[in-house]
Amino acid sequence: MRFFKKTQIDFIGKRKFWYIVSLTITTLGIVAALTFKTVEYGIDFKGGTELAFRFTNPIDITTVRDAMDKGNFEGAEIKSYGASTDVLVRLKDTGDSSMVNRIRENFARYIPNNSLLNQPPRIVEGLLKSDKIGAKIGGEQRLQAVYAVLASIVAILIFIAFRFDFIFGLGAIISIVHDVLIAFAAVVLCNGLTPWLNLEMNQGMLAAFLTVVGFSINDTVIIFNRIRENRLIHKGENLIALMNRSINETLSRTVITAGTVFIVLVILFIFGGEVNRGFAFCMLVGITTGTYSSIYIASAFVVDWTIRVRKIDVEKQYRDSLARQQQVLV
Amino acid sequence: MEVDVIRLLDATAQNKDAVIEQVIDTTRQIAKVSDENVIDIFKREFDQIARPQGKTLTQYYYFGNLRDATDDKILAELKTNLDGAVERAKEIIRNRVDQYGLTEPTIQTQGSRRIILELPGVSNETEVRHLLEGTALLEFKMVKDEDVALHVFQNIDKYLARVNKQDTSATDTSHKKADSTMANADSAKTATDSSSTAFDASNAANDSTTASADTTKPDSLHPYAGLPQEEQRKRYLADHPFTSLFYILHQSEAGSNFDEYGIMNQTTFPKGNYLFRTDDKNKRKMQDILNRPDVRHVIPEDVQICFSAKPDPTILQRSGQNIYDIYAVNSVPELTGDVVTDARATIDPNSSQPEVLMEMNSDGARDWARITGANIKKRCAIILDSGVYSAPTIQSKIPGGHSQITGSSNMDEAKLLAIVLKAGALPAPVQIIEEHTVGPSLGDDSIREGLISSLAAFLGVVLFMIFYYARGGLVADIAVLMNCLIILGVLAAFGATLTLPGIAGVILTIGMAVDANVLIFERIREELATGKTLRVSLDLGYKRSFRTIIDSHITTMLTGIILLQFGTGTIQGFAITLIIGLLASLFTAVVVTRTIFDLMLDRGTHTINFG
Repeated sequence: MRFFKKTQIDFIGKRKFWYIVSLTITTLGIVAALTFKTVEYGIDFKGGTELAFRFTNPIDITTVRDAMDKGNFEGAEIKSYGASTDVLVRLKDTGDSSMVNRIRENFARYIPNNSLLNQPPRIVEGLLKSDKIGAKIGGEQRLQAVYAVLASIVAILIFIAFRFDFIFGLGAIISIVHDVLIAFAAVVLCNGLTPWLNLEMNQGMLAAFLTVVGFSINDTVIIFNRIRENRLIHKGENLIALMNRSINETLSRTVITAGTVFIVLVILFIFGGEVNRGFAFCMLVGITTGTYSSIYIASAFVVDWTIRVRKIDVEKQYRDSLARQQQVLV
Repeated sequence: MEVDVIRLLDATAQNKDAVIEQVIDTTRQIAKVSDENVIDIFKREFDQIARPQGKTLTQYYYFGNLRDATDDKILAELKTNLDGAVERAKEIIRNRVDQYGLTEPTIQTQGSRRIILELPGVSNETEVRHLLEGTALLEFKMVKDEDVALHVFQNIDKYLARVNKQDTSATDTSHKKADSTMANADSAKTATDSSSTAFDASNAANDSTTASADTTKPDSLHPYAGLPQEEQRKRYLADHPFTSLFYILHQSEAGSNFDEYGIMNQTTFPKGNYLFRTDDKNKRKMQDILNRPDVRHVIPEDVQICFSAKPDPTILQRSGQNIYDIYAVNSVPELTGDVVTDARATIDPNSSQPEVLMEMNSDGARDWARITGANIKKRCAIILDSGVYSAPTIQSKIPGGHSQITGSSNMDEAKLLAIVLKAGALPAPVQIIEEHTVGPSLGDDSIREGLISSLAAFLGVVLFMIFYYARGGLVADIAVLMNCLIILGVLAAFGATLTLPGIAGVILTIGMAVDANVLIFERIREELATGKTLRVSLDLGYKRSFRTIIDSHITTMLTGIILLQFGTGTIQGFAITLIIGLLASLFTAVVVTRTIFDLMLDRGTHTINFG
């Protein structure tokens, strides 16, 4: 079974068009994300308390919110937590050990016709889970997250520059940054679009971003490897022709791998539970742009760098060689 | 949990003065927001604050086993002590958890002062939290004569009154204090419910018949005689910012009534028994005042003011109010909890109340006998974590090293107390800074979701590989299966916990493992297409793609390693499974599939369909 017969798509030739597309999507995405919505941090990065409750009957978020307001729980965020009977209560305070009971009493008082599910030992008085993170830790984690992203970019730059050329390293980094920005914009924009789409910035999301980086670079490396190989086989071949050939040759593998991971992520998104949903969403966007960026952005950047900075007019050479080939055919 | 190592710095310092206290306070503030090693912060602050004033560390810290103590040596010793404290805390917590009886808890240290606990199967989190956080510092301290206590209270009053008057803006706050303490002042002076019930209770405790609340104004109000009621109250509160927060009951001789008593400007106080009592709100205010560094200087070094750990149960039952007793005790304990060898919770046959019986080691028993023998008729406060559990009067010398703690509200509490006493006192307080609880139902859901998604992903990939790569795909599927088994095996071998993100890592590895196989198979197809034989194509396929596979796996692993370094618990789980999976896939994709193909070739297969 084959999806791709021998392809001969001129990827590099069309690069200007795709530059514009990428730039537009990235800038639009970031601008839209930051103006229409704000970045929402989970308690992993903010500190606070997160409690998941289950009621006996389906519950409306506004009912719970009203109850928390009446009970003077300042700054409580209420979200749905998957099933229609489940709610997530988030508070800034880490509070003391009586907080859970106070909230339970609050519910009993202001939500009289829907009690918390009590099925010991599986569910004790409605509490599904509780997470408390001190504000100091939350702040630390934010810093660590930034370090993590920076560290991964630097590590990759060094590795690629070492294995290939420095320009390739730069090209790889640009494609990664492009992917992360688009994924970031997608996450911020789609957060909360539906009740089950809870895409806040927490440790899981950070893991997703870093894994996107990992995958994106994976694709890019494979193409670069082929380029290097072909350079040795077809010595003296024009850079553009070389790249086109390499990308076409690896196209089959690139799309298939991306495809399998995509399927796997879709399964994770649907079946993997609340915890993994945000992660899966971010990765789905990231993998898509990652594959695209490996094909169009990374190599294309190297070409343009060669033209503009190294001042080697590979384009003219390419057109010339194409013209020569035409002549031969004729 | 974070171990409060600064408390240790504070406790081991000697000859404490304002300078070192400032250094310690600043260190504490900085440590609240930074994870830097406390000793480093301390050294820096000491150099900045204390050294310009000519102080050295040798003036404050003395370690018997250290000869030629220099500041650097002291710092090193402090560091060892603090690290040791965290280790000891970990052991003690482990002891407590073991005794509590949880299955398979995991306890690890992290960084310079953090401890991470994983406790599966906890049904009562509040109990466990109390179990973990209590320092369990048990101290036996002699209660000071009432004379001493009254003088200390008076001195605090005088000091605060003076300070408040000096600070003109503070008169506003003392007005506010006056307003808020008005309620307490009222209850102390006039016959309101609270004081009368306290009165009744204290009478009941002394077996006297009920008396009416005594509403006669103490003589000591004479300084304000002639002024309007309102003015009198204001003046009283301004002059007595501390003593207005609690009330005093005085019994001139055993068996007589308890009268209210007020501290004014007396130089001597009448003999008899005194009770000092206050409620929740004022207790907190008193604690705030007592914690002020300037007030600490007013209190003599050998005196410590403590509160009862629990509110009086009789008053609580009768009126629902929390009323606490106040004690002035010796700062230095006669005996501490490390002499306790055994602790047991039982019901006292006489009072039918739960109590904890303690046994001491031989040194402790000997000391205890001496202390009780020398202090007959005096009161000894039994203090746990700075809260007074009881302060019984010593009736006679106790030779056997027995002691008991009363005051637990119920048997469960007594049992917890016994566990904590037996396991030992934490060297420094611990604070829970991060806590995650997953209820069993959610845990079940997670397991189910994890299993379903893993199986679905695996199935999806398997089917696709067969569809696209025919028999080659089947071989690849075997490799992926082995991959998963290896991951699970390694995780089990290290006793790692599998979390939902961990499962995400496994699922992702399935996708990635396919990648390696795809690389190889595409290459094999290419070679076959150029007409090479099966064997040669296989050879070349593996050889040519090897480098690419290595490169791509390494780069993905780089991000995994970074996640491992910078992430928290659950994310580290993800990173670990990812890394293990990548390593395993390297092995299965290259070695395992190759071996299978070789076996097939050796058996005489001439063609393998690669789709």
